Amino acid sequence: MNTTPHYPPGTVRALLDTEHVSDATREALQRRLAAGTEPYQTQFFEPEAYALLEAVCARLLHQPNAPANVIDVARCVDERLALGHADGWRYDALPPDREAYRLALGGLRQTAQAQYGRDFLQLTPAEQDAVLQAVQAGTASGAIWQELNGPLFFEELLAETISLYYSHPLAQEEIGYVGMADLPAWTRIGLNDREEREPQATTQPTQ
Amino acid sequence: MPDEELLEEGVLNPIKPEIQDPLLQELLGEQQAATPQEQPQPVPEQFDEVDCVVIGTGAGGAPLLARLAMAGLKVVALEAGPRHDARRDFATDEKAQEFLFWNDERLSAGRTPTSFGNNNSGTGVGGSTLHYTAYTPRAQPDDLLLRTEFGIGQDWPLSYADLEPYYDELEQLLGISGPAAYPWGPPRRQSYPLGPLPLNGAAQLMQRACQQLGIRTSPAANAALSARYYQEGIGWREACTNRGFCQAGCSVGAKASMDVTFIPLAEAYGAEVRAEAFVTEIERDAQGRVTGVVYEQHGQQMQQRCRALFLCAGAIETPRLLLLNELALSSGHVGRNFMAHPGMQVWGTFEEEVRPYKGIPGALISEDTHRPANANFAGGYLLQSIGVMPVTFANQVARGRGLWGAALHDYMRQYNHVAGINILGECLPHDENYLELATEKDSRGLPKPRVHFSYHDNELRLSEHAERTMRQIWETAGARDIWAFQRSAHVIGTCRMGRSGDDAVVDADGRAFDVPNLYICDNSVFPSALSVNPALTIMALSLRTADRFLEKQRRLDA
Repeated sequence: MNTTPHYPPGTVRALLDTEHVSDATREALQRRLAAGTEPYQTQFFEPEAYALLEAVCARLLHQPNAPANVIDVARCVDERLALGHADGWRYDALPPDREAYRLALGGLRQTAQAQYGRDFLQLTPAEQDAVLQAVQAGTASGAIWQELNGPLFFEELLAETISLYYSHPLAQEEIGYVGMADLPAWTRIGLNDREEREPQATTQPTQ
Repeated sequence: MPDEELLEEGVLNPIKPEIQDPLLQELLGEQQAATPQEQPQPVPEQFDEVDCVVIGTGAGGAPLLARLAMAGLKVVALEAGPRHDARRDFATDEKAQEFLFWNDERLSAGRTPTSFGNNNSGTGVGGSTLHYTAYTPRAQPDDLLLRTEFGIGQDWPLSYADLEPYYDELEQLLGISGPAAYPWGPPRRQSYPLGPLPLNGAAQLMQRACQQLGIRTSPAANAALSARYYQEGIGWREACTNRGFCQAGCSVGAKASMDVTFIPLAEAYGAEVRAEAFVTEIERDAQGRVTGVVYEQHGQQMQQRCRALFLCAGAIETPRLLLLNELALSSGHVGRNFMAHPGMQVWGTFEEEVRPYKGIPGALISEDTHRPANANFAGGYLLQSIGVMPVTFANQVARGRGLWGAALHDYMRQYNHVAGINILGECLPHDENYLELATEKDSRGLPKPRVHFSYHDNELRLSEHAERTMRQIWETAGARDIWAFQRSAHVIGTCRMGRSGDDAVVDADGRAFDVPNLYICDNSVFPSALSVNPALTIMALSLRTADRFLEKQRRLDA
């Protein structure tokens, strides 16, 4: 299979209104669908740092249908850091999350300046990617990366943003996931088994 | 929510005063031992003394809670997390279910740091069983005799024969679904009460390939019901609906988590479960016997006196509580011998549609690698097919492959075509692997636990062997784009049981060598990791610990 499956849009949103979705599930997903439709006032990051985080998220998460379908991951990170929530662990080699994010955003500025003599936001997408790749590989220039472990921070950043993205019903729709529509049961669960309510891929060549 | 970072500085933890200077710590050491620390705490709300307090309601605490209550004792369980109504409140949504995990931050150190939270640590009435995969293989007899067999690692101070009656009992009570004849381990005296759960796509792929390769497989033993099931004191539980959400909470009641099995059983016999009760102090008398505990509940400090204490808070919180309270430390082994199962996963992309969100995640098992021929390591591992929920998968793709941007997006579109295999393998204790209290504080002002974990030769060799095996299986099954995700699972060994208080914290009955009325029962007491999922063995130990305790009580009464 050298093609990438594409799934028809609208499947998850249509399923949410059916009896295949429990009340608790529907409530959680509809809340997430509704979030991000109103303007957002940052709670943790300064506006400049937040703009930088948004730019980073835009490179990490390819959203071909943006801006109409943009899933606002930066906002979720900002909300979490403002609340001081954790996910149960962190690498001992990294400072507490708030400090790590602050340092890392400063580090990205330093690397952009060192590599291109410009601010990260002024770089082309390819240049931004090169900066992020350097952080991921542990080769980023800048004093901050001497004290902050770039590859570990990048792993944490990537894991958090990707998890937030694929928590969103529209991202789940993109990959053909309809596990939320589990009522009353799944009965066709073997290889190539599909239930009526599961979407079929319209396979298109990868672009 | 309290602000974690604001509390990090200058907060006096209620148990241990802040003395950062090591010299001063040493000087004060003797003095403190002689005069118990007086803290200006408000007088806690008090209850009448009970026979037993149980801290934690997971696989370690809940079975013994029921057993003690059924023996007529007055018992109270204290659970740090809330009580849930799973049928009403559990969503089929990973993010919405994050409340099931122990989300207080732990610090993961070492060369192969292990992750906590959704990987292995639960909270709420039912503990980590609220999100366990409910795989219930038994340990094999040689799992308990690692040192005898290989000359390294540890033997258990009890044998398979000691556990077997409890395995028998548990399989019937929980309603384990499994094959008519399980190919590995000693023969069962009673067959599994229910037939196996159906094989999902990942299981079928693994079965097909293993058959070609001559690796025996079997439908797994799993504590989710393949049919409605009735047990006295528990009532009817409904059959599994193949939601595939075991690791984020069962909303059906099919999975034998403690909240739908031993907790209702315990309560039917008069046990009291207090939720949202976080224990901070263990009180003792002049002879060093436990007299009660102090806990926080809804912002209030409460006290509960007891004649015996059962500490069942898991392999992180159990040693943490002992270290905070400087209790049962004479062996020097509290917090040491930390182990986690090498749990490598190998993923592949298939032509076939797998839709990996359906069915119990691990429907197929093989224990043919329990003691692989020509292995250059001690112990062995088991193989399990795995389906996966989308967010968990995305997280692993991020950490394991480092993909982002368009590459990630394209790979994630293959989600409905991916299937995995994972192992659980033996882990040896090592001096470098231990839990300690960090100076950094959590939102309660208590030191965060720091866990050092590095694979050594045995874990590395075992993982290499397993990776080869799993890659071969997936190649045979026709997968492309195969990749391995190095991870560890389960937290084990930080208060191990043994024959002597010189190198163990509790005896074979779970009783602390240092404190005659303190019992510990959870994965912290395992002397070795076992190359199987730990939950069933924790429950077996829990029932056994209760029986041994009751026997002692009867002898005292006689």
